[in-house]
Amino acid sequence: MSSLALRGIVREFGHLRVIHGVDLDVAEGEFVVFVGPSGCGKSTLLRIIAGLDQPNGGDVLIDGIRVNDRRAAERGLAMVFQSYALYPHMTVRQNLAFGLENQRLAKAEIDRRIAEAARMLQIEHLLARKPGQLSGGQRQRVAIGRTVTREPGIFLFDEPLSNLDAELRVQMRVELSALHKRLKATMIYVTHDQTEAMTMADRIVVLRGGRVEQAGSPLHLYNHPANRFVAGFIGSPRMNFLEAVAQGGSTIRVDDMPPVPLPAAAETSDGEAVTLGVRPEHLGFVAEDGLPGTVDIVEHMGGESYVYVTLANGARLTLRNPGQTALHSGEPVRIGISGAAHLFSRAEGEPAIAARRPA
Amino acid sequence: MITTLARLIDAPFDALQRRFGAARMPYVFVAPNLLVFGIFVAAPMILNVWYAITGGTQFMPADRPYVGASNFAELLDCTNHFIPATCKQDRFWRAVANTSWFVAFQVIGLVAISLLTALILNRRMPWRGFFRAVFFYPVLLSPVVVALIWKWILQPDGVLNAIVVGSGGARVPFLLDPGWAFSWTIVVSIWAHMGFYTLILLAGLQAIPADLYEAAEMDGTPHVRVFWRITLPLLMPNMLVVLVLALIRAVQSFDEIFVLTGGGPGTATQYIVQYIYETAFANQTHILGLAATASMLVGGVLLVLTLLQLAASARARGEAGR
Ligand SMILES: Nc1ncnc2c1ncn2[C@@H]1O[C@H](COP(=O)(O)OP(=O)(O)OP(=O)(O)O)[C@@H](O)[C@H]1O
Ligand SMILES: [Mg+2]
Repeated sequence: MSSLALRGIVREFGHLRVIHGVDLDVAEGEFVVFVGPSGCGKSTLLRIIAGLDQPNGGDVLIDGIRVNDRRAAERGLAMVFQSYALYPHMTVRQNLAFGLENQRLAKAEIDRRIAEAARMLQIEHLLARKPGQLSGGQRQRVAIGRTVTREPGIFLFDEPLSNLDAELRVQMRVELSALHKRLKATMIYVTHDQTEAMTMADRIVVLRGGRVEQAGSPLHLYNHPANRFVAGFIGSPRMNFLEAVAQGGSTIRVDDMPPVPLPAAAETSDGEAVTLGVRPEHLGFVAEDGLPGTVDIVEHMGGESYVYVTLANGARLTLRNPGQTALHSGEPVRIGISGAAHLFSRAEGEPAIAARRPA
Repeated sequence: MITTLARLIDAPFDALQRRFGAARMPYVFVAPNLLVFGIFVAAPMILNVWYAITGGTQFMPADRPYVGASNFAELLDCTNHFIPATCKQDRFWRAVANTSWFVAFQVIGLVAISLLTALILNRRMPWRGFFRAVFFYPVLLSPVVVALIWKWILQPDGVLNAIVVGSGGARVPFLLDPGWAFSWTIVVSIWAHMGFYTLILLAGLQAIPADLYEAAEMDGTPHVRVFWRITLPLLMPNMLVVLVLALIRAVQSFDEIFVLTGGGPGTATQYIVQYIYETAFANQTHILGLAATASMLVGGVLLVLTLLQLAASARARGEAGR
């Protein structure tokens, strides 16, 4: 189990800079998830950590020691690739043994580690098969097993579940979390799926355009997004955003609809243009005041309902209602803020709009 | 533009389909190709069998007397098959011996050099496209051009001897000494064909997913082990194709060597196809029966090789587990 630190990591491909000075500390035993939209540099960052790619600037430290000049194999890491990268012509057992043979471990030790990993991942009955004879989920387990046998200081995962179907993904998510608890290992996990990030991470690192937008625990990011990007990225269904104008500190006006009271006072100046962000579960139906609109569609999940509403000014909102609702399409409703509201500055030119006051 | 073209083609095919019905259209489509195949491949093959079991020097099939297997008996008549001089048709057996040695060295050299070249060209390096073109270029040359280029290099007052003499050595009879001439036919033949096999192997190398190599790198696998345990096994299907194609084509070697050495000195570089050609068409008496018989024997060997390849590649596919 190792710790990891990144100091001012920069990576350029030709003239294109894709990683803009990333700093990060990962503690021993932590499960850190890199999340962000496609092309934001997650894989690049992971490959730099792994030693498969070299940064143009900055340092990678493992257990406090600079490892930039160490080859991948000498960093004490193991990686699960998105495509699994199993050797197709070898049996599962040979796949698991291959890396260990490079380390010139004794045969008995190799067998012990394979047996242990196979038991842990329930792939004992597959050891004689070749990857081509396995299902996607089984291949995934073998790929994870291969890293487990290495007994690495840090596990790296690059979108390991993206090739699995939805049901299997949920199952493997749980198993990976269990594996983390059991091995108490440091794990760095890349995904663009915020649900995976929320459910597995001790800490989420949100990346965009090669920069860290925010890092923190899942609930911290959910409750206190640093900017509109993080607010929109974390949480499902997505946070609702409305262009609005602050009226004093405690009410807000959207176009010429009636002003809506905020749940808590915000530090805004009167008449300031802001973006109002409210999560679907923090909106509710009110009898008077509130934003007028009509129900588009109601999705019944059974335990909860999603209500999609179009406001008088054409903006669309999603509401998450606990339990079941009798609302139906076309019904006029009024909507108020029942939980936390987030105000984001709309100042121009700011790449990431700072949160003014999560209320 | 394309739609106009399509409409132009449509009309005759519509007419054909109305005439024959949709179910018979597949046969209509393959008919032209089948016709060409029939005239230039199937018919000559059948004729060849007829020539092999008939004798005399007549050219018209109908004029040739039936002789049964006597052409085969004549060709195979040897006291010791490994010593051509003890055979009734010693030139045939000399050609067989020459061809066997040639095939062994040429194929091993060709596969090894093609593999090495493909491995090098598969690396990231400057001018990669240029080098790939350079190695493929000889494949595009006519065999006669290949032979003439090398003749210009190897003849007694050729380029190579100019260099040898220039650096103080004595003139070497590259094409006049049996050993030298035999070696040069192998070199020239490898040079002329390696681009094609390099291309097949290069395609195979590029089909190996890059992340397998990255996984191996994470595992700290030494380069030599990566080659033997990952690259080579995954390249096996392509290697088999290359091996068998190279074998078949080496047995068929003729044109560039015929122009380069004419089979000489003596019969040192006379290979089996040249024997067939000369027996049938070049010598004063055209012994078509023997030539046809020899080509059937060669065909039999090639058939066995091809079956071996099919079996081997089927096995390789099974082993890759895909
Ligand atoms: N070898 C390369 N050469 C040039 N540009 C590259 C290279 N590798 C990555 N990039 C660029 O770097 C950026 C980040 O790529 P990266 O693969 O890290 O994205 P990602 O966050 O992993 O995306 P995804 O979720 O799609 O996997 C992209 O804009 C990509 O085009
Ligand atoms: Mg990626």
